[in-house]
Amino acid sequence: MRLMRRAGWAILAGWLWFTLVPNLPGLALDVPPLSGRVVDIAHVLPPATTAQLSETLQAHETKTSNQVAVLIVPSLEGEPLFDFSHRVATTWKLGAKGIDNGVILLIAIKERKIRLEVGYGLEGVLTDARSAQIIRHEIAPKFRAGDVPAGVAAGVLAVLHTIEGTYKAPEQPTAVHSDGEVIASTIFAVILGLVIGLFFSRAHRVVGPVIGGGLSFLVAPWVIPALIAGAVSLVLVSLMGGGMGHAIGGGRRGRSGPFDDTWFSTRHGGWGSGGLGESFGGSGGFSGGGGDFGGGGASGDW
Amino acid sequence: MMSLARLMGASVMLAGLLALSGCGYNDLQGLDEDTKASWSEVINQYQRRADLIPNLVSTVKGYAAHEKDTLEGVVQARAKATSVQITPELLRDEAAFKRFQEAQQSLSSALGRLLALAENYPNLKADQGFRDLQSQLEGTENRITVARKRYIDKVAEFNKMVRYFPTNLTAKFLLHLDEKANFTVADEKAVAKPPEVKF
Repeated sequence: MRLMRRAGWAILAGWLWFTLVPNLPGLALDVPPLSGRVVDIAHVLPPATTAQLSETLQAHETKTSNQVAVLIVPSLEGEPLFDFSHRVATTWKLGAKGIDNGVILLIAIKERKIRLEVGYGLEGVLTDARSAQIIRHEIAPKFRAGDVPAGVAAGVLAVLHTIEGTYKAPEQPTAVHSDGEVIASTIFAVILGLVIGLFFSRAHRVVGPVIGGGLSFLVAPWVIPALIAGAVSLVLVSLMGGGMGHAIGGGRRGRSGPFDDTWFSTRHGGWGSGGLGESFGGSGGFSGGGGDFGGGGASGDW
Repeated sequence: MMSLARLMGASVMLAGLLALSGCGYNDLQGLDEDTKASWSEVINQYQRRADLIPNLVSTVKGYAAHEKDTLEGVVQARAKATSVQITPELLRDEAAFKRFQEAQQSLSSALGRLLALAENYPNLKADQGFRDLQSQLEGTENRITVARKRYIDKVAEFNKMVRYFPTNLTAKFLLHLDEKANFTVADEKAVAKPPEVKF
């Protein structure tokens, strides 16, 4: 009995070891959560500066759609500057998806290192050379003089000034448009399936609906609209083409309504994340729009 | 009775059509295209680095013309690196892939020597043009790192599908796709090693 209990404890301990150990903080520094446009986990900026910078950055985003953020960490904990910086950039995903207009100003206090990480879409204006100049001429001198808040503010302003006028905030999210397109091509698929299916129904009352339904399914875009289009064509061709489909048709017609609803709700959820719409959402929350970073920018120290 | 059998037959055919998407045909085709695209990005970034070199060499020459060996070394390594090109179709050729890597690697170390040499010339280091080139070069090295990493990830994904069952059947008999060459750990180490500095 005692042996059994001991074995039980051993198994429990082993299980705890294997489940907990991988969750212990690893060697690499964790990417801090994107709590706002200015993430100062080293606590070197006075609250007034943080608030003012956040406001400036938000105003810039509203005007241009560029997403710029500042991250100040106490230490890199041994990780190379670029590795950490690029990891933060690809986790936060600042900038709109496909436009990639995000910038991160990263400062590591202990290592005295500065990095500007520039998204693909801004590499053309905020070039590597320009980024290096901003670090060298705007930020580093003030840091050397001991005034970190002034250095950060000067760096941010220089970045905003450089990328000003590159992009304009879109009037409205583009996702609405493509929903309309999907609906249009789904309707087209149903009509096409209907016409061809009815044609074949004259030859055979089962083959017709199957061909019509299959055709609609193949022509319609995306999977769920395709299923709906296929089902609708199948039912309609059966109803219109011959008497046999009547029984099946009656039951199925009602179903396409709820199908439609679920399709729309999932589509909207999926589209929003990483799309343009999300970043313009609430005034309080701030999140990246899905922008990508390819390693552009510059590093420096003070 | 007859029509029921036909209906079943048609359903089976439709099901077979749908099952095609399960054999990985589209996924394999998509990944094949993705690996090619990420390879193009790798090439693109290496090319970008090569394009920066003539300017860099002439700037350094302005301050340190007598450092002929180092300057010549960079020019030659660049010429060699740009002469080895791998098109996406040649990615299955391990030997060609290796030649490409070696050429780029020797250019990296030649460049490392050139930049280390610049440390001895304060006037060169203060030159605005040189500083800009240096930051561009550094940015390009970072982009190469990113492009390589993305290529490595994509190829790993592609190679998995080529080897896993049942997608390996599609890859082998239908699409005739082979595993693609990837950057290896040994190469990563060699690249990460700081270049030797000789004075």
